[in-house]
Amino acid sequence: MTDVDHRFASPETQPYTPVTGNLADLLERVLDKGIVIAGDIKIDLLDIELLTIRLRLFIASVDTAKKAGIDWWETDPALSSRAARDALADENERLRARLDALEGAAEETQGAAR
Amino acid sequence: MNAPPAGPAAPVLVCAFAVTRTPPELAASAAATGHEEGGPLRVLRAGGLCLVVQDVPAALFDEEALAERLNRPDDLERCARAHHRGVEAAARRGPVVPLPMATLYRGDRSAEQAVAAREAVLGALLDRLRGRTEWAVKVHAAGGTANATAAGAPADSGTGAGARGRAYLSRASARRRDRQDAHGRALAEADAVDAELRRYAVDATRHRPQSERLTGRRTPQLINAAYLVEESDSAAFKHALARLTADGRHAAVEVSASGPWIPYSFARWDEAPDIMAPDTTGPSRTEPSRTEPHSTAPERTPPHRTEQRPMKQEARS
Repeated sequence: MTDVDHRFASPETQPYTPVTGNLADLLERVLDKGIVIAGDIKIDLLDIELLTIRLRLFIASVDTAKKAGIDWWETDPALSSRAARDALADENERLRARLDALEGAAEETQGAAR
Repeated sequence: MNAPPAGPAAPVLVCAFAVTRTPPELAASAAATGHEEGGPLRVLRAGGLCLVVQDVPAALFDEEALAERLNRPDDLERCARAHHRGVEAAARRGPVVPLPMATLYRGDRSAEQAVAAREAVLGALLDRLRGRTEWAVKVHAAGGTANATAAGAPADSGTGAGARGRAYLSRASARRRDRQDAHGRALAEADAVDAELRRYAVDATRHRPQSERLTGRRTPQLINAAYLVEESDSAAFKHALARLTADGRHAAVEVSASGPWIPYSFARWDEAPDIMAPDTTGPSRTEPSRTEPHSTAPERTPPHRTEQRPMKQEARS
């Protein structure tokens, strides 16, 4: 037998995230593209990335709430709407950057035409 | 635990974790319990293969209950970790083909049949994964600012609105050029990182790059890769990783990694629709004659490509 226990134990200290700690990587691996196609039972999941984002938000909010001693997350169904707000902020930023570039380009053309 | 007790009368489903060739000693790993709501891990025999399973209460694991539970973040996390524990327990004594999370069968018989019907495919996968582990590597564009040039914009072009306008647009276009240059550099360096790591890997595959919403970074994820690494090469792979993350040779990107993983990303046994059918046509279908353009070790050419990035995929209709 070539592959015994040493396969997951690393002899040297390694600077990488331990497997059990890395949730996004784990979900990416164990969720089969969101749809379970083996087995007798088929479960349609949401998009894996969406699930993972919600999970991250959940963990973040649990931590925050624990520190503050509150438990609003248990009743708040809007964990994902917060994600939507974040997305909006990001999109806003991207659009501003594009606008900036486009304005520059437009003025450049005008300048060249003169 | 507030789960209903899985008494002898409660209806159960069979949750499968992984396929192995050597039966794992589950008694020795009492700590590895799989799903906490279920019974102990068991081993089913199917042809020459073993399937590590667990009875789980149907009330929590049927379509409806599970779909609802997996959409709840805390249950999703517990479920994913439980699945990983079950797979790890199965992997103690040899290679495994890990199954996707929540692979559920109505009974032992249908689970055994499903494995027996794919014995050739699964056997080939086990051979391919033997003694190999997976590394997850993500390459992001570096967060550094593109604040270079621009400062040297012409200051001598007179006064007034026209000059201010010209100065503005020369700054704007310099900024734009910087951004494009930086992105081009980052992409090139990401490819160089990938090429370097492939030298130590038997195979590589890509997951969809994660969005900035998920990574929480302000810079895009350029590569979300998995590498299948031979045990004997894993030290070299790790050293290559350490070099890539440390030495500033690739200043335009940031490389992060996790591993070693059980090779989940290289164990997609139901991926091709034609493999779904019971295997009656012999081994030819498990050994596509496709050659490996990237492989640096042709003698190790694996039977399956799991490349998931469309642009790298060969035409396959």
